[in-house]
Amino acid sequence: MPSFKLDGKDVPFEPGETIIKAAHRQGTEVPHYCWHPGLSAPANCRMCLVEIKPGPNQRAMMLDIVEWDAKAGEYKPAQKPKLLPACQMPAVDGQEVLSESSKHVAEARAHVQEFLLLNHPVDCPICDQAGECKLQDYWLEYQTTGKRMRDEPIHKPKAVVFGPTIVYDAERCVMCTRCIRFMEEVAKDPVLELRERGNLNEVTVAPGRQLDGHYTFMTENVCPVGALTTKDFRFKARVWFLRSAKSICQGCATGCNSYLDYDPRSNKVFRYRPRDNEAVNKYWMCDEGMLSYHAAHEGRVIDARIGPKKVSVEMAIAEAGKRLSNGPKESIAVVLSAQHSLEDNLAMREIATLLGTAALYVSGAGDGYADDILINKDKNPNTTGVRQLAPHAMSFTRLLDDVRAGLVSHVLALGGISPTSDPEDATALSMLGTLVVVAAHKGALTDAAHVVLPATSWTEAAGTYVNKQGIRQIADKAIEPQGASRPAWEHARLVGRALGLEVNFAKLKDLRSMLVGASVPNGNDVTASASI
Amino acid sequence: MPRAFPKKPPSSINAVTLRYTERTPEVQSYLPEIFKGIGASMRHFFANTRDMIRGTRPDPVTERWADGVTTISYPEQKRPYPDRFRGLHRLTTREDGSPRCVACLCCSTACPAQCIYIEAGEYPEGDKRRGYERYPVKFVIDEIRCIFCGFCVEACPCDAIRMDTGVHAAPYDSRNQFIYTKDLLLGLAARDGSHKTANPRHEPGDPTHPGLTREHAHH
Repeated sequence: MPSFKLDGKDVPFEPGETIIKAAHRQGTEVPHYCWHPGLSAPANCRMCLVEIKPGPNQRAMMLDIVEWDAKAGEYKPAQKPKLLPACQMPAVDGQEVLSESSKHVAEARAHVQEFLLLNHPVDCPICDQAGECKLQDYWLEYQTTGKRMRDEPIHKPKAVVFGPTIVYDAERCVMCTRCIRFMEEVAKDPVLELRERGNLNEVTVAPGRQLDGHYTFMTENVCPVGALTTKDFRFKARVWFLRSAKSICQGCATGCNSYLDYDPRSNKVFRYRPRDNEAVNKYWMCDEGMLSYHAAHEGRVIDARIGPKKVSVEMAIAEAGKRLSNGPKESIAVVLSAQHSLEDNLAMREIATLLGTAALYVSGAGDGYADDILINKDKNPNTTGVRQLAPHAMSFTRLLDDVRAGLVSHVLALGGISPTSDPEDATALSMLGTLVVVAAHKGALTDAAHVVLPATSWTEAAGTYVNKQGIRQIADKAIEPQGASRPAWEHARLVGRALGLEVNFAKLKDLRSMLVGASVPNGNDVTASASI
Repeated sequence: MPRAFPKKPPSSINAVTLRYTERTPEVQSYLPEIFKGIGASMRHFFANTRDMIRGTRPDPVTERWADGVTTISYPEQKRPYPDRFRGLHRLTTREDGSPRCVACLCCSTACPAQCIYIEAGEYPEGDKRRGYERYPVKFVIDEIRCIFCGFCVEACPCDAIRMDTGVHAAPYDSRNQFIYTKDLLLGLAARDGSHKTANPRHEPGDPTHPGLTREHAHH
């Protein structure tokens, strides 16, 4: 692999790659605003200027300048190298590039920074980006001086509503055009554009349109400053109070890699941020996915129930064991869920095996909107995983048919959500003698259940999910379990114990080691690359 | 007889040997010490009574009228606090009576006792402050948890929180009473009775305040 030298360090690159991209891939950051690994490079922020040393038989491109000589008290003619944007210069084998180690580059970056902050309102105390703002970071790293302009800054529109999700502040904007390029290149909906020129520049929405569609949150996410904010997160939290957990979006079978930002003090989830994964979601997530963190707190099952009555988890488990052991063995069915993790489903499958019943079914959410960018029509995060665990498991519709036919009378089900919302489904479910549901979210199954056991959601316990490509991905634990909820596999183990079964797992570790075994074809565990 | 404890001999020159009194029956019964204590009290009682009758000791009630005596009757009388005494917090207001606070949470970030809770809200569309400022929907200080360090005042970029009320936290009879909400904090005044700040700055609508729209700006 060819390589070039960046500040004396070797950086390998693939032919055709730019300097900034090769450095980014290697984990070295060249400061930038407008460049984004997933977008084109307009080179308009001028922050990534680097000094490129001439090759063996080349002359350096030098510019004639005048430099202030403090000793002589006058300007003296001098020369400085022509700096070039790293985001547009293709890397060349053996090339020597100076970024942090060149005084010309340091000077240029300080001045670029001063220009970008010339008309900036510096309203960091009320800006949601404060704490994760490139302007703040680079000011500290490259400028650290006040601005010399003493005039009133140019004023521009503030809190402009761009659409149902996004609010724009033109004064904070550095005109990097990342949002414009995202809408054009990734979302394929060129609805944003720049108007005016120079310091009157501002981003506007195309006349007669508003910023809507399925990828508006990403415009806020790519914004390196606080110009674009989402209505969902606006003024909700200060980012320095939040902690991030590596998570997997539960919105559909794509399984986008994400960071789940939560406040450990209030045990609340505040937002999703996409996590780079070239193999799955690249750098992006859809709006539905970005908002799906709300499911960590909304529509949750957090109390054990027997019928409509709230009880302790221990009582509910004893009741579940009693009810299920009453049924004839051949009419007991176990329902897996594509909404739950591999570990939870594996635990349920083990219980089914120990019970000796062969009747396995799968529930989950029904199909929905799909596009060819990220959104999959299968709205379950783990359909492929459940299929791998139980290739012969039957559909939820088949379960309802079997219930109506009287083949199944006792059901131990994982997950509360069912694919259809037909009123006749509820009638079929009400025909069951026993329905024990271990669920994190409310749905048709929890509504019809005789015993409900509260399971943790993907935010409260670590779990493995297999996306539509067959890639096995782990969502880490973020917040503490809410209410009386426990991991679903733990409920499965306790119900198994109550049924008098010899359950062969006691910890998540045991289930994980069973997963690595032959039961599931081993997918690629994909880890995230460095964030932008 | 006193005995050495611990039994291990001191190993270094800095070691201190602790000595404990032997637990004899008279020590364990406490009685000799109780009578010694009562004896001391009675000695002072009779001596004071004798001096008051003879007039050689001033009456503590009339004492404070005399010059050069520093005893005061708190809480009827109070000593002046120093100018920069950090008392209970107050929220300063603008001309129109609204809080100056923009709910930036700098105070609650700086607070080492984590006693400040704020919920930020946005001004409705059409308000001239929308986009420039946000405001606290809730602003709660737990004054029993507060350690009166003054970091919140230092951290505030808007001079919206001050500790110049000159009042120290009152001893209430339940914990709930120490929870100071936004209205209560806005109601507290500085020692001169003012609800405003000593450092006024331009407000939305002033010609110097950012808030001009594209149409109004001269460019």
